[in-house]
Amino acid sequence: MTQNTSVLSPSNSPSITPTAAAAAAITRRLRAPSTLTTVSASRPLQFSWIRFHLYRSSVSPLLCTVSHSVEEEEEEEDREMASEDGQDLRIARIASAIRVIPNFPKPGIMFQDITTLLLDTKAFKDTIDLFVERYKDKAISVVAGIEARGFIFGPPIALAIGAKFVPMRKPNKLPGAVISEEYSLEYGTDKMEMHVGAVEAGERALVIDDLIATGGTLCAAIRLLERVGVEVVECACVIELPELKGRERLGNKPLFVLVNAA
Amino acid sequence: MSALKDEDPRIHGIKTKIRVVPNFPKPGAVQCAGIMFQDITTLLLDPKAFKDTIDLFVERYKGKNISVVAGIEARGFIFGPPIALAIGAKFVPLRKPRKLPGEVIFKEYTLEYGKDRLEMHVGAVEPGEHALVVDDLIATGGTLCAAMNLLERVGAEVVECACVIELPDLQGRERLNGKPLYVLVESH
Repeated sequence: MTQNTSVLSPSNSPSITPTAAAAAAITRRLRAPSTLTTVSASRPLQFSWIRFHLYRSSVSPLLCTVSHSVEEEEEEEDREMASEDGQDLRIARIASAIRVIPNFPKPGIMFQDITTLLLDTKAFKDTIDLFVERYKDKAISVVAGIEARGFIFGPPIALAIGAKFVPMRKPNKLPGAVISEEYSLEYGTDKMEMHVGAVEAGERALVIDDLIATGGTLCAAIRLLERVGVEVVECACVIELPELKGRERLGNKPLFVLVNAA
Repeated sequence: MSALKDEDPRIHGIKTKIRVVPNFPKPGAVQCAGIMFQDITTLLLDPKAFKDTIDLFVERYKGKNISVVAGIEARGFIFGPPIALAIGAKFVPLRKPRKLPGEVIFKEYTLEYGKDRLEMHVGAVEPGEHALVVDDLIATGGTLCAAMNLLERVGAEVVECACVIELPDLQGRERLNGKPLYVLVESH
C-alpha cells in the first residue's frame, strides 16, 4: 500500500477527534520530530513510570512523519506501514509508550524499550490488533517469533489468527532435533535454531520480532523457514530503525512495521 | 491445585501435545535432573490446544482484579502475554541478567550448580497491585520464588503462580512458602 499522506498537522488531521492527550502527544512530536529522549542513563531515578504517558519519545508514528514528493511515492510502493486513518491514534499511543534508553547495551546506542508498551494495556492490545487486522484473512498458518521479545508479540497474534506459533531460538535451547542458521553480528556470528518438523513445506508464515535493526536476525529466520519449503509472506515488527537499512537487507521480502524510530 | 481432579475435557488434549525429550539439556540445568525434558513447543503447534491452555488460565483469573502478569524468560513470555491481554493486565517480563535496558532490581537464586539471577524493571509494578507469575513449568520452584520475591519487594501481592506443567517429584510447590500454585498438567 502506498503511503501518500503529507506531514500530519492539525489543519489536515483526519476527521477523528483525538483525545486531548493524544493530540498533545502528536503536537509535541511535530515540534521536535527528531528529538531524542532526555532520559539519561546517569540519572535513571528521575524517570517516573507513573507519568509514562507524558513521556516524550524519540519514536515517531509513521503517519506523522512521512512526507512525500510524487517521485518518492512511486518508490514507496513496496513499503508497508500502518497508515489508515483510524489507526493514527492507536499508532500515536503505541509510539508514545515506547521508552528510549540511551547508551544501552553500549555507548552511542539508543535502545528502544518495548517493556513500557507492555505496561499500557490499551497500547499493547492495539499493537496486537493492528497486526491481527492485517493478517487474519491471509491464510497464514505459522507465526515464527524470534527469541525473546518476538515471543511476547508472536503468540497473541498466532492465537488470534488461528496459526501455530514457532519459537526461533538461540543455540541449545530447543530440546529436539533442530536446524540452524548462522548469521553475522557486528563482531562475530550467532546462530538461530528451529525445531525440525515444526513447519511443513507449503505453509505460509509470518516472522515477528519487536524491532528490525540491520535485519540480520530476520534474514536468518527467513532462511530457516525457506530451507524447509515454507513461504514467508511478510516480516512484522513493532519498530523499525530505518537508518540501519534492515528493510533493504530483506530484499524482496515484505516488511510491515508500526513505528519508525528516528 | 491442578486441574486434574475435576478434569476439564480440554486438559487431555493439552497433555498429549506436550512432547517429552529424553536426555536434554546439558548438565547443570534443573530439568535435566531427571532425564525427561517437557517440551511445550509441540503444544504451540496445535492452535486449538494452545488456545485451550490460555483459555483455562483466563477463565480462572478474569475478573479477579489482577493488574499484573509477570512472565519468566523465556517460555513465560509465550504464555504470559496472551493471558495478560485477555484479562486486561499489564505484562512484566522477568529476565536473565543484563537484558532489561532500564534500571532494575534483581534476585539471585541457586541452581543445581551455581547461581542465576532474575531481574525486573524498577517502576514496572506499583505497590498494592495484584500479580500472577507465569511460567511454562515448575520444577524445584527456585525461579518462581525469585520472581515472587521481586514482586513482593516492590509491594505487589502475588495472588498465584500459574504454570502449564508441574514436576511434583521435585517438590516445587512446597518451596513456594504457602503461595498458591495452579497447574494444568502434572508429569511424573
